[in-house]
Amino acid sequence: MQDQLAALLAKASAELPALATRPEFEAAKARYVGPNGELTALMKQMGSVPKEQKPAVGKLINETKTALQAQLDAALSRIESAELAARLGPAVDPTLPSPDRGLGTLHPLTLVREEMTRILRKVGFSVVEGPEVETEYYCFDALNTPSDHPARDAQDTFYLPESARFGNVSKKSPHEKYLLRTHTSSVQIRTMLKGQPPIRIVSPGRVYRRDTTDATHSANFHQLECLYVDKNVTVRDLKALLDYIFASLLGKDTKTRFRPHYFGYTEPSFEVDLSASHLPKVNKPWIEIGGCGMVDPVVFKDVGYDPEVWSGYAFGMGLERLAMLLYGIDDIRYFYQNDVRFLKQFA
Amino acid sequence: MKLSRSWLQDYVDLAGVSDDDISRAITFLGFEVEALIRTGAPKLENVVVGQILTRDKHPNADKLSVCTVDVGPAHGGVRTIVCGAPNCDAGRRVPVALPGAVLPGNFVIKESKVRGQLSAGMMCSAKELTIAEDAQGLLLLSGEPALGAPINDVLPAGDTVFDIEITPNRPDALSHLGVARELAAWFKKELRYPDVSFTPAKIAAQPRPDLLKGVRVTAEKDCPLYTATVVTGVKVGPSPEWIQRRLAAVGLRPINNIVDIGNYVMLEYGQPVHAFDAKKLAGAEIVVRHAADGEKILTLDGKGRALDHHMLVIADAQKPVVIAGIMGGENSGVSADTTDLVLEVAYFKRQSVRSTSKRLGLASDSSYRYERGVDVHSLEEAAHRFIDLILAHAGGAVAGPIHAVGTLPPWEREITVTPAYINEKLGFNVPADEMRAALERLELVVTREDPTENRGPAWTFSIPSWRDDLERPIDLVEEVVRLHGTEKIPSSVVTAPGLVGNDDAIVLFNRAVASALVGAGFHECVNYTLRSAKEVAAWATPAQTAALALANPFVEDQSHLRSTLVGGLLESLALNQSRGVAASRLFETGRVFLERKGQLSECVAVAFVIAEETGERSWRAREAADFYTAKRHTGTVSALADIELDRQPTALIAEGSDAARAWQAGHAATAGNIEHGWTASFGLVSLAHLKALGITGKVYAGFFAIVSEKVSAETERRGYKPFSLQPAALRDLALVVPAATSAIDVQKTIAKHARAAAGNAFALEGVEVFDVYTGKGVPEGQKSLAFALTFRAADRTLTDDEVNAAFNKVQADLAAAGYQIRK
Repeated sequence: MQDQLAALLAKASAELPALATRPEFEAAKARYVGPNGELTALMKQMGSVPKEQKPAVGKLINETKTALQAQLDAALSRIESAELAARLGPAVDPTLPSPDRGLGTLHPLTLVREEMTRILRKVGFSVVEGPEVETEYYCFDALNTPSDHPARDAQDTFYLPESARFGNVSKKSPHEKYLLRTHTSSVQIRTMLKGQPPIRIVSPGRVYRRDTTDATHSANFHQLECLYVDKNVTVRDLKALLDYIFASLLGKDTKTRFRPHYFGYTEPSFEVDLSASHLPKVNKPWIEIGGCGMVDPVVFKDVGYDPEVWSGYAFGMGLERLAMLLYGIDDIRYFYQNDVRFLKQFA
Repeated sequence: MKLSRSWLQDYVDLAGVSDDDISRAITFLGFEVEALIRTGAPKLENVVVGQILTRDKHPNADKLSVCTVDVGPAHGGVRTIVCGAPNCDAGRRVPVALPGAVLPGNFVIKESKVRGQLSAGMMCSAKELTIAEDAQGLLLLSGEPALGAPINDVLPAGDTVFDIEITPNRPDALSHLGVARELAAWFKKELRYPDVSFTPAKIAAQPRPDLLKGVRVTAEKDCPLYTATVVTGVKVGPSPEWIQRRLAAVGLRPINNIVDIGNYVMLEYGQPVHAFDAKKLAGAEIVVRHAADGEKILTLDGKGRALDHHMLVIADAQKPVVIAGIMGGENSGVSADTTDLVLEVAYFKRQSVRSTSKRLGLASDSSYRYERGVDVHSLEEAAHRFIDLILAHAGGAVAGPIHAVGTLPPWEREITVTPAYINEKLGFNVPADEMRAALERLELVVTREDPTENRGPAWTFSIPSWRDDLERPIDLVEEVVRLHGTEKIPSSVVTAPGLVGNDDAIVLFNRAVASALVGAGFHECVNYTLRSAKEVAAWATPAQTAALALANPFVEDQSHLRSTLVGGLLESLALNQSRGVAASRLFETGRVFLERKGQLSECVAVAFVIAEETGERSWRAREAADFYTAKRHTGTVSALADIELDRQPTALIAEGSDAARAWQAGHAATAGNIEHGWTASFGLVSLAHLKALGITGKVYAGFFAIVSEKVSAETERRGYKPFSLQPAALRDLALVVPAATSAIDVQKTIAKHARAAAGNAFALEGVEVFDVYTGKGVPEGQKSLAFALTFRAADRTLTDDEVNAAFNKVQADLAAAGYQIRK
């Protein structure tokens, strides 16, 4: 008996470490400790062991059983590890790029627009939208642009045929022609007609000019325009807004200056220049960036605001021009070609 | 407009003011300086006249000479100068830059050794003095100028030309006098008007009815005042050098004294004038009338012009001789043998000149000024100045009184303003006396001054006739801030309210869409709104394409409004492919124009494209996009407009339908209907269309549009629905249905029956498609759709029996409804 147990253990230690798969293991396990296993068979012989030897043999069987179980556990653990390793496969190469798609990117015009509206939101301006197809009233008449003004020429402005009908662009009078808005200032009029002061809005959007496309001109481009209407709004307030916008955008050392100018819908009117130390591809001390002025009383009268009570300012600028300045882009057409090498640069 | 500094100085003293300071003044007066051009010699210190006394070859250099030069006793007499110019011959007088002189380009002259020879100065070429491009040798001075004389005394004075932009509200500044008035106000100098000596009282010669019987105006509305003066015995020749020089400086070619003087007066006063050869006026009369339809004239630019009855002309007894205010005709122009003139100075209405100029596509310096507005109250003065200069420089005499027909509109305008008002508008303080002085320098005259309680004096200013743009007190605010200096507007802090309104719903929608699509790997594009007819026709019906056409497109490939954003994105894909740039996923947000209720509607739209062929290679392949990828992203976009795409009726785009021109029939679908507010299309772009665009590989796309006013920012806050913590019971069910049956419809039907079968005892939690099968076991033209049904009770574990009972009932009900259940 003693010898048989020792032989069994020796056989197991030789066989078990060589097992490679789980079925082999299960078979081996059955052979040793299963109901018909060898150890089980030996244990069944216990009855025939003389009484005085029983404690010693019993102890020996238990020891053998424990040792065998340890060997089985070791074999199982080894097989499980091997199985896990097979499931994992070889180690990854951490230096390879992920083949999964990365994030997309926002267009630089969107980035600039969003940055501007964020800056303006901090000082109370909320974003409004207006139609790109406009009527003569909203684009010109209400903005004090007389009917014989050159800007209204079919040479400079895109018109739709007289037969055109738009379901969701309201006309002031039935004889007006539809056109593609030449500036976002038309949104000022729609906003003022819809509500009452105080008004603090920014209207970014697409505008159209009948212009030759070249490095600095495009048949459509984008503007951003601010309008503030309240009591006692002054030229000084307007200057403060421009100083704030460009200091926020380009740093505290940025300066702005006004030059007198003429726009039909503001009086007085100014062009705005800015001076900043770290704009790429700029070698002039002052760069023209937009136009502004105090809302002309005529405009207020037209929308039914009493110019004796209300005053306000408006400021407008081109977004492409701003983006070109900020990023150092030298051709406006790049914004509309959507070369992915261009699009990926700004996110 | 170009302005000569020397000309401006006739009217305002600018001595000691640098060109840059003038340029700055013009800029801050509100006229942009587009260019500053210097002509002639600049101011040069220590450059004097010298005479070469001797010339010897330089001992150490072949091409150099050693000269002795006499620069006059005041500069130390004779000195030695080494010179490289070939023409430094003895006896010649030349400009000599003495040590200490600074030539243009910051070139400092010093006494130095040149190849071992001392040289005490430099003899100069015209190029070195920047008065000519030519560098061929020294500038030789003719006329024996005094030795030692400063070179600026000898050379013709240089000039500076300012090319400035005049805003449309300031036609008064389209003249030297007008800009001089502004500069005088800025620099606080006096404005000197030209000395006009002609008066009608001085006319000595008798009238010459043989040259001009009279003037008739039949179009008083377009020509309120016409004056004509006969001058006889003139001699046509070159105009004086100073007139030629000034005209040339501002870009006008000198022609002859008569034409040049006309131009000179126009550029001086801003009043266009015209001279006829009197002998060429048939019938010796002038008729100001509208042209007859079909009348023709050969204008001075050598082109024939057909006229019509809208156009105002100056005619003689037979024919038009001038297109009024725009351009003269060849038939009446001044030529070398002209001796008698008719001088025209007239007031033509701006609308008339403008419309004629537009109709003819013909503009001139004259029409430009009439269109913007000429100060008619300076007309008489300009006419007299014209006569003065003709008599002075072409001789002759005025024959008989000036023919004048019509009257000037009266001019009287006053504006009352207080300093308090101006300061309130400015938001900072300009002293009252500074305001008043500034306005007075612009020739606004205080006609009354009334005290007010606390707003300072109420000034009533009379407005000069050339400042038609000043109408209201606010206009004077601008004048004050202009002359105060817009650079001096003080800075301050923005005052902002505590509450900010919401951004527009469209903005919020676009932001959310952009963020979602960027997250899914799409690059944002921006394409032109205006597309070619060909592209639009691929996406819209012929009638819709016609409705999208502009009245006046500028270029052929940008003639129509867009009805989709996909067209632009495909163009972007094609561009990237052609450049060999990998582009797989692109999107755009923007406005499109769709037919709705028989009209166009401006819609907010989103589109994306997914290209199969990107040229990009990866070391490990990923699953390719398909129809359902496009459907997923379209659904993501529509969900941001509160539309759950998976629950919407969706139709396959069928062969031969309108949509199948751009979308691949059988592989693309539409949902929604713009008539009800929104529409979506998604799937595979037509392979034929892609081929036509030169795009390789398949492209999946999605497009979503919603009428702009239907984009809503108000999303309702949803209520909480309790959910069960009990285990679920699952049952699978497959139905065999005709292949064209909508999966959504089947799903809805199953859900309806399952809900009914569960009753109040427990709940149907979901019905999801998990398999679609055609092939063996399913008849031709049919498909098997397999659904997973999930049941759950709120309060207990469901028993098999109750779930089976319900499930059997569902199957029985479906069978009763005509569905074939696949076992």
